[in-house]
Amino acid sequence: MSKVVIEVKDLHKTYEGAVPVHAVDGINLTISEGEFTALKGPSGCGKTTLLNLLGGLDHPTSGAIHIGGVDITTLKDNELIDFRLRNIGFVFQAYNLIPVLSAVENVSFIMLLQDRPKAEREQRARQLLQSVGLAGKEDKRPTELSGGQQQRVAVARALASKPQFVLADEPTANLDSHSTENLLDIMERLNQEEGMTFVFATHDDRVIQKARRVVSISDGKVIGDSAK
Amino acid sequence: MIFKVAWRNIWRSKVRSIIVLSSIAIGIWAGVLIIGFAFGMNNERTAAAIESTLGHAQIHPTEFLADPNAQYTLDSAALDTITAVLTANPHITGWTSRGIYQGMVAAPKSARAARILAINPATEADLTTLDEILVEGEYFGDRGRNPIILGQKLADKLGVGLKKKVVLTFQDSRGELVRASFRIVGIYKSLNAQWDEFNLYIRSSDLANQTNTTDIHELVLFYDQTSETEAITAELDPQMPAGTTLLSWKKNSPELGYADDMMGIMLVLVLGIIMMALMFGIVNNMLMAILERRRELGMLMAVGMNKRKVFLMILLETLLLGLIGGPIGILLGDVSVRIMMNIGVDLSSKAEGLAELGVQSVIYPEIVPEYYLITAIMVLITALIASIPPAIRALKLNPTQAIRGN
Repeated sequence: MSKVVIEVKDLHKTYEGAVPVHAVDGINLTISEGEFTALKGPSGCGKTTLLNLLGGLDHPTSGAIHIGGVDITTLKDNELIDFRLRNIGFVFQAYNLIPVLSAVENVSFIMLLQDRPKAEREQRARQLLQSVGLAGKEDKRPTELSGGQQQRVAVARALASKPQFVLADEPTANLDSHSTENLLDIMERLNQEEGMTFVFATHDDRVIQKARRVVSISDGKVIGDSAK
Repeated sequence: MIFKVAWRNIWRSKVRSIIVLSSIAIGIWAGVLIIGFAFGMNNERTAAAIESTLGHAQIHPTEFLADPNAQYTLDSAALDTITAVLTANPHITGWTSRGIYQGMVAAPKSARAARILAINPATEADLTTLDEILVEGEYFGDRGRNPIILGQKLADKLGVGLKKKVVLTFQDSRGELVRASFRIVGIYKSLNAQWDEFNLYIRSSDLANQTNTTDIHELVLFYDQTSETEAITAELDPQMPAGTTLLSWKKNSPELGYADDMMGIMLVLVLGIIMMALMFGIVNNMLMAILERRRELGMLMAVGMNKRKVFLMILLETLLLGLIGGPIGILLGDVSVRIMMNIGVDLSSKAEGLAELGVQSVIYPEIVPEYYLITAIMVLITALIASIPPAIRALKLNPTQAIRGN
C-alpha cells in the first residue's frame, strides 16, 4: 500500500446567506501517492470548492484535511501560504502565467519564492520545460505561446516547487482537443515515470477517460468512487 | 527577479506609465523652477540691500542699538581700535562712517519723521550704490551749501522736488536741538521702498558746520564675499572694542534674514503640495494596475507568494515610478534654471509691486543643490507612501476569486 498524501475527514464548507449553501457536505476522501485522480461532477456540484480546500486556498467550516500528515486546517494564514509553496502544485484553467516573464522565468519564479539558488532554478526550469516538450521555447513570453503551450508551462511551474501533489482545476477547459491530448499525455507520463500525484477537478470526458480513479461529486457529497 | 517583474510591469501599460511618469517629472520640474526663482529673487533682494544701504555688517555703539539717541557715539579710542582691526583683515574691502539722527523733515505742505544719515560722500559713493540709484538730480559734490538727497517716496509724500528746500529738525549728540534748511540736489530710488520713505542723506561736513562736531554712530563694512558674511563677522567680532557691537546684515536687518527663513519653509510647503498632488496620481495609477492584474496577483498568492513579497513587489513598482520620474524632473528643472540664469526673466510689467518687496524687475533664478536633495528625498517618501494603499489593496485580494477573474 502506497503512502497517503491527502486524507479528508468529514469535511464541510457552508456559505452563509439567506439560504445557506452546503458546497461541501461531509466529504471523506483519501488520496495516495502516485494517483491520477479526477474529481468529476457538473458545474456547481462543489468540486472547485473541494479543490480550493485541498489546496489550502479556503478554510473549511468543519472537518480535517491532512496533507502528508499535517492538518492544514489548523495552520495560520502565513503558515498556509508557506505550506502551499512547498507542498502543492497548482494548474489553473486560465493558465495564469506572469505575462512579463518568459517561460523559463515563469517556472523559476516559484523556486525564487522558495529561496533556491539561481543556478539550480535556471537548470531545473529548463529541464522541466524540456520534459513538457517546450525545449526551444524557454525564452518566449506567454503571449508568444499557444494556449496548449502556456498550459504546459503552467504544468512545469506546478512541478518546479517539488510538491507532494498537483491540483489542476479544469486544466483543459480552454484547450482544443489536440492540445488537450498532448497535455494529458505529458501529465500521465510525469505521473507514471516520476510518480507525481495529480488531482483534477473536471467535467471534461477526455480527462475523465485518462484518469485511473474517478470520484463523482454531486451536491457537495461523494456519490461514486471508481478505480480502473 | 522581483525587481525584474516590477520593472517590466511598469512598461506593461506604456501609455499609462508614461502619463504618470510625465506628471511626476513635470511636477518636480515646476518645483525646481520655483525653488530657483525664489532663491534668485531673494538673493537679488539681499544683494541690492547690501550694496545700496546695509553693507555686509555694521558696527554701532551698543547703547545706540537699544536706543537710537544721537548722544551714543563711537569715540575716537574705539574708532582707532576698529580701524586697526579692519585694516589688518584681508576680507574687508572698505568701510564708511555715518552719523544717524532721528528727526523731522518739513516741507511747506507737510512734515514727516525721518532718519537723517550724515555721510562721507566720497567713501559712500565708493562702497555703496547710492550715487548710482539717483533717479533725478546729482550726487553730492564738493560745493554748494547744505545739499540733501531724499528717497523718491519721501519726496512724493512731502510734495517736494529738485532744488526745493526742506527743513530738518533733530537733536545732536550734545542734546542741542538743531534746525537747518537743506536744498534737494538728488532723489534716489533703491529697491526697498520702505527704506526710501524714511531715510535721507546729508554731508557730514555740513552737519559739522552746524554742530561743530562729527558724530559717528555707524560704521558700514563691506566684505569680499557675501556668502562668507557670517564667518567673517564671527572672526571680527572678538576683536571689537568694548561698548561696540558688530552685526552682520542678517542680524542688522532681521526682516531680510526672516525672509530667508520664511522662504525655506514656503518652498518645503510648495514642494509638499506638489508631492500631494503627485501622490494621488501615483496611487490612482497603481490601483488601476492592480485591478488589471488581479488574476495574476491571485495566482501568485495561491502558489505561495507571501504577503511580504507581494507588498515588496508593489512597493518596488511604485518606487521605480518615482525613481524614474523624479530625476527626469530634477534634470529638466536644472536645465531650465540654467537657461534662465543666463537670460533672466523679465517681470517689468509687475515691477512696481516687486519694488515694494525689494526685488528687481528682471529675475535670475539660481541653482540650489541642497534643494535637489530635499526634492529627491520628498519624491522617495511620496512614492513610499503612495505604494501603501495599492499594496494593501493587493493583499486584500482573495486568491480563489482572483484566479478565476471574478
